[in-house]
Amino acid sequence: MSTSPVTSSAITVALAAHAPDFSGAVSPSWSSDTDEFLRCVHVRQETHDVKTFVLAADEPRNFRYLPGQFITLELDINGEKINRCYTLSSTPTRPDLVSITVKRVPGGVVSNWLHDHLQPGMVLGAMGPSGEFSCFRQPAQRYLFISGGSGITPLMSMTRALHDLGSDADIVFVHCARTPADLLFPEELTLMARNMPRLRLAMVCDQHTPGSHYAGHLGRMDAARLAHIAPDFLQRDIYTCGPAPFMRVVRELAAGAGYAMERYREESFSFESLPAQVAAEIPGPQDRPELFPADSVPAFQVKLEKMGRSFSCRGDQTILQAAAAADIRLPSSCSSGACGTCKTRKISGQVEMKHAGGIRQREIDQGWILPCCSRPSSDIALER
Amino acid sequence: MTHTISAQSLLTRELLARRRPGYSLEAPFYLSDTVLKADMEHIFGKHWIFVAVEPQIPEAGDYITVDFGTNSILIVRDDDNQVQAFHNVCRHRGSRLCASQQGVVGNIVCPYHQWTYDLSGKLIHAKHMGEDFDPSHLSLKKVHVRNMAGLIFICLAENPPEDFEQMAAEMTPYIAPHQLSQCKVAAQIDIVEDCNWKLTMENNRECYHCVSNHPELTISLYEYGFGYQPDEHNKEGLQRFQDIMAASHKRWEAMGLPSREIDTLDDRITGFRTQRLPIDRSGQSQTMNAEVASKKLLADFVDPALGGLSFWTQPNSWHHFMSDHIVSFTVLPISATKTLVRTTWCVHKDAVEGKDYTKENLTAVWNATNDQDRRLVEESQVGIATGAYEPGPYSPFTEGLVEKFCNWYVKRLSALIP
Repeated sequence: MSTSPVTSSAITVALAAHAPDFSGAVSPSWSSDTDEFLRCVHVRQETHDVKTFVLAADEPRNFRYLPGQFITLELDINGEKINRCYTLSSTPTRPDLVSITVKRVPGGVVSNWLHDHLQPGMVLGAMGPSGEFSCFRQPAQRYLFISGGSGITPLMSMTRALHDLGSDADIVFVHCARTPADLLFPEELTLMARNMPRLRLAMVCDQHTPGSHYAGHLGRMDAARLAHIAPDFLQRDIYTCGPAPFMRVVRELAAGAGYAMERYREESFSFESLPAQVAAEIPGPQDRPELFPADSVPAFQVKLEKMGRSFSCRGDQTILQAAAAADIRLPSSCSSGACGTCKTRKISGQVEMKHAGGIRQREIDQGWILPCCSRPSSDIALER
Repeated sequence: MTHTISAQSLLTRELLARRRPGYSLEAPFYLSDTVLKADMEHIFGKHWIFVAVEPQIPEAGDYITVDFGTNSILIVRDDDNQVQAFHNVCRHRGSRLCASQQGVVGNIVCPYHQWTYDLSGKLIHAKHMGEDFDPSHLSLKKVHVRNMAGLIFICLAENPPEDFEQMAAEMTPYIAPHQLSQCKVAAQIDIVEDCNWKLTMENNRECYHCVSNHPELTISLYEYGFGYQPDEHNKEGLQRFQDIMAASHKRWEAMGLPSREIDTLDDRITGFRTQRLPIDRSGQSQTMNAEVASKKLLADFVDPALGGLSFWTQPNSWHHFMSDHIVSFTVLPISATKTLVRTTWCVHKDAVEGKDYTKENLTAVWNATNDQDRRLVEESQVGIATGAYEPGPYSPFTEGLVEKFCNWYVKRLSALIP
């Protein structure tokens, strides 16, 4: 196997600063309690709008985390401190570095800043790792990994780890993207599949890219396609990560097929604009703009019965956001599910609600929702 | 201003100093706004006050508000199922937060500008306050709260009396077997009495007036239970009561139900008294026929004849724990001459209204008794205000506990007033 020559002296210097002493003792474990900063040491352009940022501690450190977990980055953007959670796309079996893989979201402050400004040599505040979504918590023999867009990151981390450990786990790895040009890590996945005889890959794209040699599935994930790709999925532990509407489809497919849902796991994320102090309290990656492709999301009708108004709301928008876009002013304050000011009775329809304590379970049971943190998964009628 | 307050203190001091033991208090204690102010500041402001029973807030997010004097207190069950108490006042511009007497909240949200506090009191949302806004110093003001086997006490003082823990240690074995936390509120009735709160309390501490005034209560209540002057006519009855009490105590103690009297009414800061008293006739409950009001007994009780565990606290409550229900009374001053009496009846949470009990039967005795007591204390208030009133002597046999209330009150106020 040939080694790739180091072509840039700048990179040589950066690597030297972070190169562990492979002949010495194992580096101490990284802990955000003591090493609160990570330095960007390398940037990879994965696709036209996705980059991987490789991060290291300034002193040699061993990164210990469960594949699938995330870290929280504290960024200083235009004088404002912003926290964002990013899944580690790297594997702890290569413990000297970590990486995050970020999709540029149109209008997304943080993803655009990372894409435009984060260069090797720069430091970032970091906390974590944390998160529950990992097949290493409950190892199984057979898995179905289903990823949508940059939701591939935790599943990539898990697969990389299983690969490096020489695992003989039986994995069906499904990766869905908009076009073949948006597929992430296709070459590396192919290489891992070659090394792991029981890893099978299935790519699913919404549409073809003209001129691409792509020959995988075309269209959406549905029951027929799932049965075709993984006919034995009822026997597999399912791990899903992707945009909320995508995960909902997968979840409903599984539930509809009589799948034992206690073996179904997905990486949930919700709040887009929580006040910092609330966001800090909620465990889990609340804000992951890399998982929100703005297009290809279904839209639903929201009807306000008393006001006699209707408007359209995309599956990745909150009802409050869509109402504002339609020039309808609903009572609201925190926009994050904490204060309950927007509480409204739902007459019909289904929503996905991720609140922050502004509503009680018994109120939810009685049909109340908080439009500021509810996204539609069907047409909705509200008592407003 | 300072001079005025000292003059008022001096006046109250003088009244306290010349109080004649064994006699009722002088008129200003029942009439004066100055004394009421001292009562609110020192008695209700620095002692443990009984305010509610746990079943009033059974689930996380349930809250009640308790208003007394100029205070409004918010009591809420948090997501860890712990009871929290706060001043019911927004840290923004002082609006009252929760206006209802009870309700449900997710977080605590001010209706004025939606400042939002979590159930630990932390300010978690305040819009339009700018970059430099530091919410960490604007948590809700906490109030000390204790949950003693389902009875909720608060203390507004910064350093509450420490002997609450002693009371809790002694009383919990008495109360806990009734499993108040596994009850539901079957009824709660507020009445306002046109009298000073101390008249309400004094009236509660004697049964001299019972036989003539409380026909419903004395069906189940032995008149001998609260002190009695023996004479030729009642000799036999008194002896019989004492025999029943001794036998009952033996039986109940053997069942794991502590019954003997504890009385710390005027020798502790957190004064209280308890005793499990026999009930007349079938011996079961304070109802119109002395039989249980709820067929579904509390806790794991199988014997309905457990008498009534009575528990009196200084300065403002009394309770009766029976085999089938618990009735609790809290007394909250509104002004010098207006007092709220809140009566709460609890039954087993699985008891079904209309099947196991009816609200009417459950509340009949104390509704009638409360109304009779209201008229008695209101007539006292009117008489005391006429100017002809002067302190009169207490019966050494039947009014010893009234004297203990007054003695406690005078001692505590004397110790605390500047």
